[in-house]
This record gives sequence, C-alpha cells and structure tokens, in this order.
Amino acid sequence: MKKILITEDSPTMRSLLASTIGSVDGYEIVEASSGFEALRLLPREKVDLIITDINMPDINGLELISYVRNNPNYQHIPLFIVSTESSEKDLEKGLALGANEYLVKPFDPTRLLELVGKYLG
Amino acid sequence: MSGNNDNLGKAVKDFLAEAEEIIDQLSLDLVGLSDCADTGDCNPDLVNSIFRGAHSLKGLAGMFGFTDIADLAHNLENLLDSLRLGKAVLNQTTVSVLFDSMELLGTMVRGAGTGVSDTQGIERAVSRINSCLSPPPSTETVSPLAGLGISEKILGALTEYEEHRLLENVKKGRGVYSIHASFSLMTFDQDLGELTDTLKQGGEVISTLPSAGGGLDAGIDFEILFGSELDTAAVTALVDKDNVIITRLGGGGRGAAETATSSTVADGEDVTAATGGEAAAAADTAVTAKSFSRTVRVDIGKLDELMNIVGELVLSHSSISQFVANLRRDGHPALASELGKSAKVLERKLTELQKGVMEIRMIPVGQLFEKMSRIVRKVSREQGKKVELKTFGADTELDKLIVEDISDPMMHIIRNAIDHGIELPEERRTLGKDAKGIIRLSSFQKGNHVVIEVEDDGRGIDVERVKKKAREKGLIGPADALTDREAIDLIFLPGFSTSDTVSEISGRGVGMDVVKNNIAAVSGMVDVESTLGEGSRMTITLPITLAIIKALIIASAGRTYAIPITSVLETIMVENRDILTVEKKEVIHLREVTLPLLRLDRFFETTGMSDLLESFYVVVVGVAEKRLGIVVDDLLGQQDIVIKSMGETFKGFKGISGAADLGDQRTILVLDVGGIINEAMRGSA
Repeated sequence: MKKILITEDSPTMRSLLASTIGSVDGYEIVEASSGFEALRLLPREKVDLIITDINMPDINGLELISYVRNNPNYQHIPLFIVSTESSEKDLEKGLALGANEYLVKPFDPTRLLELVGKYLG
Repeated sequence: MSGNNDNLGKAVKDFLAEAEEIIDQLSLDLVGLSDCADTGDCNPDLVNSIFRGAHSLKGLAGMFGFTDIADLAHNLENLLDSLRLGKAVLNQTTVSVLFDSMELLGTMVRGAGTGVSDTQGIERAVSRINSCLSPPPSTETVSPLAGLGISEKILGALTEYEEHRLLENVKKGRGVYSIHASFSLMTFDQDLGELTDTLKQGGEVISTLPSAGGGLDAGIDFEILFGSELDTAAVTALVDKDNVIITRLGGGGRGAAETATSSTVADGEDVTAATGGEAAAAADTAVTAKSFSRTVRVDIGKLDELMNIVGELVLSHSSISQFVANLRRDGHPALASELGKSAKVLERKLTELQKGVMEIRMIPVGQLFEKMSRIVRKVSREQGKKVELKTFGADTELDKLIVEDISDPMMHIIRNAIDHGIELPEERRTLGKDAKGIIRLSSFQKGNHVVIEVEDDGRGIDVERVKKKAREKGLIGPADALTDREAIDLIFLPGFSTSDTVSEISGRGVGMDVVKNNIAAVSGMVDVESTLGEGSRMTITLPITLAIIKALIIASAGRTYAIPITSVLETIMVENRDILTVEKKEVIHLREVTLPLLRLDRFFETTGMSDLLESFYVVVVGVAEKRLGIVVDDLLGQQDIVIKSMGETFKGFKGISGAADLGDQRTILVLDVGGIINEAMRGSA
C-alpha cells in the first residue's frame, strides 16, 4: 500500500483528488486541510508521495515544498503541485524548489493517475 | 470522472455548498474592503484572502464543468491578483465592481444546473472587471531586495504575492526583520498562531517558512519575515519570548523610500457612471437573499466549549437545588418554594439547551459507511474477491467525535472480514455459495446506544483452530476447557493472530485487541458471533454521545464513583446469604439467571468496606450482551456529569474512563463499565 498525502484547503477539491486516486488499487490517502496539518502528519505517516496546492492559509505550498526538500527525512519523497494556472511564477518557483510535477486545476484525472503511477510504480 | 452517479451528485452538491460558503465569506470581506478603500489603507491579508476565495471557486467550478462560473471567477481572480500585487488600484469603483460580480456569481451558483445562463450579464460583468485593470505602473529594474541579505532559502519560497508584500514594506520605509522561532511539533500551530498574532499588532507578517528543528527531537523551526515601523528593541519587547531570535535585515529609516506609492494615480476615474446603473438593474431581478444550502460548518472545538459551559451550568443548577433543600430544612418554606420554582424553569431550559447542543454534534453514520464502501472496493480488488456491500440504517445519528474515533477500528474490521472471512470466488462456488460475498453494514439505535453490525457470509471463525493457536501461543493452558463463545473471544487478546501468512492488508501488526481498545476508548464494546462456514458478525455497541451523561453516583469503601446510567440495568438489594460461589467466583441468581458479582473495593484494591454486612446494594450493569453485578456500599442518587479525560498518566488505568466534578467541588472517578466487565469475565478480578 502506497501512502499519498494530499494538502489542499478546499474540502471539495481535496475529496475530488482523494477519490480520483483512491479509486485505484494500492493507494492510501492521507488528507491535510492546511500546510500546518501536513507538517504535523509528515512525521506520523510514512508518506510515499505528496500532492499540494500553492495558495493556502497558514503556510503556503512553496513553503511546504521548501520544508520537505530541506528535511533529510522527507527530501526523497516525490511531490506534485496541483494549482491553478494564474500563479505561473509561483509554479516555476515550486519546480525550482524541487517539486517533481505540476498539474493545473481543473486537473485531468487520467493525467493525475498516470503521474502517480509513474512515481509510485 | 467515471463512477456512479450518486457519488457525482453528492460531489456536485458539496461543491455548490462550498461555493456558496466562499461567496458568503467574500461578500463579508468585501464590506471590509469597502470600508478601507477610501483611505487606501487596506489590510493586505484581507485582499489576499478574497483573492484566494475567487481562486478556489475558479478551480472547483472548472472541475465540475460549470464553465460560466469558472470564467467569471477567473476574471475576478485576475483583478484580485492585480490588486494584491499592487498592479491595479483599489478604490470604491473597484469595490463596487467586485460586489456586483460577487452577487452575480452567487446567483449563478444558486441557479447552477438549471441550464439557464445570463450570458449578457456575465459579459457585462467581465468587461467592467477588465476596465478596472489599469496598466501596471512602471517598475524599477533593480530589486531593492538585493541589499537586504535575505537568505536564498527564504527568497526561493516566497510566492509572488509575498515578494510584493516584502517590496511594499521596504518601499514604505519599514524595517524588515527575520524572526526565528523553535516550537515542539505537538503545539507549533498554537504557539506560532500566538506569535503571529502578537507580531501583527506591530506590523505585517510577510511569510512563514518552516524548517526541521535543530535542537529538539520532535521540533520544528519557523523563519518569519516581518515588516514593521518599530525598531529592533521595540520588536523584541513586543515578542518577549526566550525561544525567539530577532534579526533586523534592513529596510528603511523612515522616508527613505523614493518611489511614491501609486495609490493616487487613477483615483479620479469613475467607471460607475457609465455602467453602474445597468448592472444594478440586472442585479435587481436576480438577487435573492435565500441561501442555497442552509448549513454552517462549525469547529467541533466550539461545540465542546459550549458543552462544557452547559455542564458547568448543570452543576450550578444542582447547587441551587441543594440550596433550596437547605432553605426548606432550615425553616424557610416560602422562600424555598419560590426559588424552587425558578430552579425548575431553569432546569427545563437547561435540558433543552443541552439537547440542542447535543443534536448539533450528531452526524449520520452514513458518512462512515461511505468511507467503508471505498475500503471494500479497494480491498476486494486487491484480494481478487467479489464483495457486495449492503448498508442499512445509514441515517442513524452518532456523536461526530465517536464517528471519527471508530473509523479506524471499523476499517480494520471490514478489512478482516474480506481478508479472512470472504472466500475466493472459486472456493465459494465449490461450497455452493454465490461467487459474490456479502458484507452487511447496519446501524440502529437501541436505547441510549447505537449499535453498528458488520456481518459477512464468509467462512466464519474456526473455533478449534483458534483454540489450537491460543494453546500454541500459551494464551490458554492445555487443559483449559472453553465454550465456543469464550474461544471466539480469544481473538481479542493481544498477540493473537490466526492468519498463517500475514497479509499486507490486515496483518500489519494491528490486532483485534487494538480494535477492541480503540472502541473501548469511546466507551464502546465489541462482540463477535460466528458460525463456521456461514460467516461472522461483529457487533459494536456505542454510547450516542460522550459529552454529557446521566450517572448513578455510588459509594464504595469510602470513595465516591459515577456509573454511566446508560450501562445501569437496575439496582437491587442482596442478602449476604444469597451469594453463591461457583468456580471461586461470587454469583447470585437473579430471575433464573446467574449473575456474576464484582466487589468494587477488591477490583480497585482499596480497603474500608466491611464484608460483614447482612445486606448490600448491587448495581446490575450491562453492555451489549454481558451482565455484571457491582457490589457497592451505598447509592447516592443520579446526576448529570461531564466526563473529563484524566490525561495520559491514567490512560492504562483499568476500569476508569475519566473524572467528573460534582456540584460540591468534589471530583470523582467515572467507571468504565465495559472495561470492568471484560476484566471480570477474564477472571482477573
């Protein structure tokens, strides 16, 4: 079972992401409704993949990516950004910080599953 | 998205409810924006939060194919993005355009799915939005950030908006500080929240970057960028904390910024005159104050707080009642009767209040069932098994916290049922069963309890195999004779697993003992019945709520305890000579049934109770199918109590579920009836 952490402040978007990925065998979803919650979940759950939004209250997605990539415990974990295309500069920054992939909302479920499969095999 | 229509329908409903919440919040925020637009001194957080709302709305609407809504939200988001980045001017005209667009969005959300679309209205709104987008003011080529000495790490994680806010602070001649704080992982959100709240009193929190804690094992560090007019000493005094390091990075002496703020450049323009009237007319026909979904989301913590207050009021009420009784006793009957009347009214209203708060906490177990159906689909596919999930009584209501707490144990039970219970399709066919196994998930209310049953038509529990395994593991002696029921209960012992190969699903070291403990933690009980070859049934019995309960107050060995009334079946007076001893255990015969007795003083190893009494009280308690008579010294009456957890220290303490305050300032222990029954049945008491 591979564990995927979804960090997204919109409950509807979060459950859409969760049900898309959860519809496939072998993935277990852990949901965080804010960057803080993600910070708290990371040491508790052995996460295999992180999916994060950028625009969130408390800490934003870029700050979360920076945290993950600078922390020896998590820096190997593949990380996707799922955000809207409005913040192009932010997306670029996210990739520069070490995000592996990004998807633009409204995201394409098939593409999302492809990418998840690519990284989790 | 593929999948069934019900799920999709529900998802759309969720979207519409969330969309409406967002729009309601944005409309409120816009009122705040309109108040500060004239002075140009709006809180940047406010603009950013409105931006985020429009941003979420756009993403969501796009996912569900509501292109109209997505388009309008996109245009709004654009304008708000420019506003928060200082690329557009905030004035009353802009605010009124935002207001009108938000109202139109609300109308569209409420009418979503009807197929009716006000295309002209949308076009008009979009063109008004775009007219607010003034060309960006000339930007300096040299970034003033370079001289600030902010680390690459922080700069790299600044969003475009945060970068803009940083620049604004520098331009306004404020000092820029780096504030480093270390917190424990357990409490960082609260600690950080307090710190930022304090900081906001003296300036603007620009960004918050977390990093792995240096010193503490489970620690987390934060690097906060803070802009403020205060000097270093004043910031230090403001924060006043040891674990916080404050460094001034630079920024200005006041008035150093040469670039004028652009807020006055386009103030003269007024677009409202041209299009405002039209829009208002269009809005008139469409506006409705009626809300699409009549729900509010509430943090359960707030409900807990309310419940605590109700609990305290209940306590105050019992002291008033006590006072009434005292008055009567001391010869003030008139006064007593008057106060007594008021106390009765208070009691009635309190009961209603308590009931009301309790109802808010209730959610249908259907939400839990839905999660379980996902597990069933997933696990059955992994196992190559065919399983149909049938649910009954999804509308039975249960305390939200209990639902949360039993969701993990439920998941494990379901996984077990598929993993160990349901056979592979071929095997089922050979056995003459339908290739497709059935798991029935049903829920119903039974008195003050909610019962959840998980039933499968799989292979059932092989009692002989369970016994054999238990002997091998030394859980029972070679000569111990067990009934089938007792044998089945062995699966709840720590360290028991009959599965020969540890499967990836159920066998991750979480045994049924953990499931049982988790359920016991919410004062619940789990029972198993099984018929070999036909299937098993797990019955979980839960209290409806944990927040406030009626309890029977009893005394034993000079100590006072509370027994939740939901577990009390009756209280009886027993003569000493009626006690029989069967297999070294004390029992009595109660209406043809043998009832095991438990002496509370012996259970808790306290002293003080006399064995020589001729007769004594027995409180007959029961959870699920199990019965036990608890021998006590005295019955002190019934009372509403609020159970408070006693924290980690007492967690392993058997037989106690928490503590409660009595009206007279005394704190007493609340018995964990399920736990006591289990201990007693195991024979350790």
